[in-house]
Amino acid sequence: MKKVLIHIELIVIIFVIYFLQSNFFNWFTISGIMPNLFVVFVLFVGLFASKMMGTIYGMVIGLILDVLFRQKIGVSFIALGLVGFLATIFDKNFSKDSRMTIMLMVAGLTVLYEAIIYFANYFVLGTTLEIIPFLKILLIEVIFNLLLTIIIYPLLQEYGYYMENEFKGNKILTRYF
Amino acid sequence: MYRNHKTGIIGIIITVIVLILIVAFSNGENNASFFENVASKLVMPVQNGLTYLKNKISGNSTFFTDINKLKEENEELQAKNSELEQSLRELENIKTENEMLKGYMNLTEKYGEYKTIPAYVINKDISNYSKTIIINVGKNDGIQENMTVIADEGLVGYIVSVTDTTAKVQTIVDTASSVSATMSSTDESIVCKGTLDSTKELKAMYIPTDYNIIQGDSIETSGLGGIYPKGIHIGTVKQVEATKNVTDRYAVIETAVNFDKLSTVLVITN
Repeated sequence: MKKVLIHIELIVIIFVIYFLQSNFFNWFTISGIMPNLFVVFVLFVGLFASKMMGTIYGMVIGLILDVLFRQKIGVSFIALGLVGFLATIFDKNFSKDSRMTIMLMVAGLTVLYEAIIYFANYFVLGTTLEIIPFLKILLIEVIFNLLLTIIIYPLLQEYGYYMENEFKGNKILTRYF
Repeated sequence: MYRNHKTGIIGIIITVIVLILIVAFSNGENNASFFENVASKLVMPVQNGLTYLKNKISGNSTFFTDINKLKEENEELQAKNSELEQSLRELENIKTENEMLKGYMNLTEKYGEYKTIPAYVINKDISNYSKTIIINVGKNDGIQENMTVIADEGLVGYIVSVTDTTAKVQTIVDTASSVSATMSSTDESIVCKGTLDSTKELKAMYIPTDYNIIQGDSIETSGLGGIYPKGIHIGTVKQVEATKNVTDRYAVIETAVNFDKLSTVLVITN
């Protein structure tokens, strides 16, 4: 029952992030650049929830974004699915107690996600390749994501461990060594 | 979580302040004036108090003793003020509605030769790398793929996909967009492409080598390519970038439409 409740809570969080991204962060920008909270969310689910949940949530959110905004379906689906999958691998290899580790993960996965989207659009839609502006936007987006991660980190961790206890139960080992 | 709870909270507060400052200073005028307002609200009461003291000391004070009368007057004024605020809010609502209707009227009068359907922009892309918008008309309203979308000032883009009630529009400032165009002073064709770092500018490429581009030249659709009809205003030449190789030179076009504030559009259906 609690697991169902957590899924409902996560769906509500997805809606909240969607409305934040499409309304609040449309004007609360750094030089016109928005953050990407979906990457942070999928990373968080991948790190704390059960094995496949990060990948599944990533793919579902990616699919929704593809349907809503992209011209070709599949790019965000694969990119966010990959973010979720990598988060699951990170969970096995790194400690989630370190803020620095989480921040490095956020930075790395934001770069990976946006690079996949950008280069996929270049090959699929034939967009003009503009490396310098792309890197400039990416850098600001990563900084924005990092600042937001620092702010919501305690909340993320508290809810994350609550979620982990439910989904992983006695399989959690890393926190006791 | 944090080694020291207090340090953690201070860290978060500092990060929030840093973030707000970065956002404010990176976005120029609008946010700057917001912060000016906040600063003035914080400083002004102190400033007023100091001025009053200064006046009193220098003997210029007009402060009178009838405090009860002042209180009554103050209450009356406050009541009047809230009434006025209420009417102001009502007027503002009417004004917004009026402006929106005027916008529709202007649009339909200007592009009278085309059969058009008005629409609202209901959503914008949440990515930093593409600039598509969603409008509130779809198949049920007779919208189909590849139809041209315009605004009062000029060209917006074209429909890339459509559902029963909404349509996705690829704007001309999107990096995947290429519009065949002509300059007002010549019939030569150029191609206007969207750029990654601006929602107000296009890059005009493939400019004929023997042609001198003039700043301020008006750019319109050429009608080539099969999507956009001929003669729709795109923008004006803002600046010309010369390169070593004359074939690579390009011009920066300032779009006529302000995509940051775009709210009503027309879809050309014929």
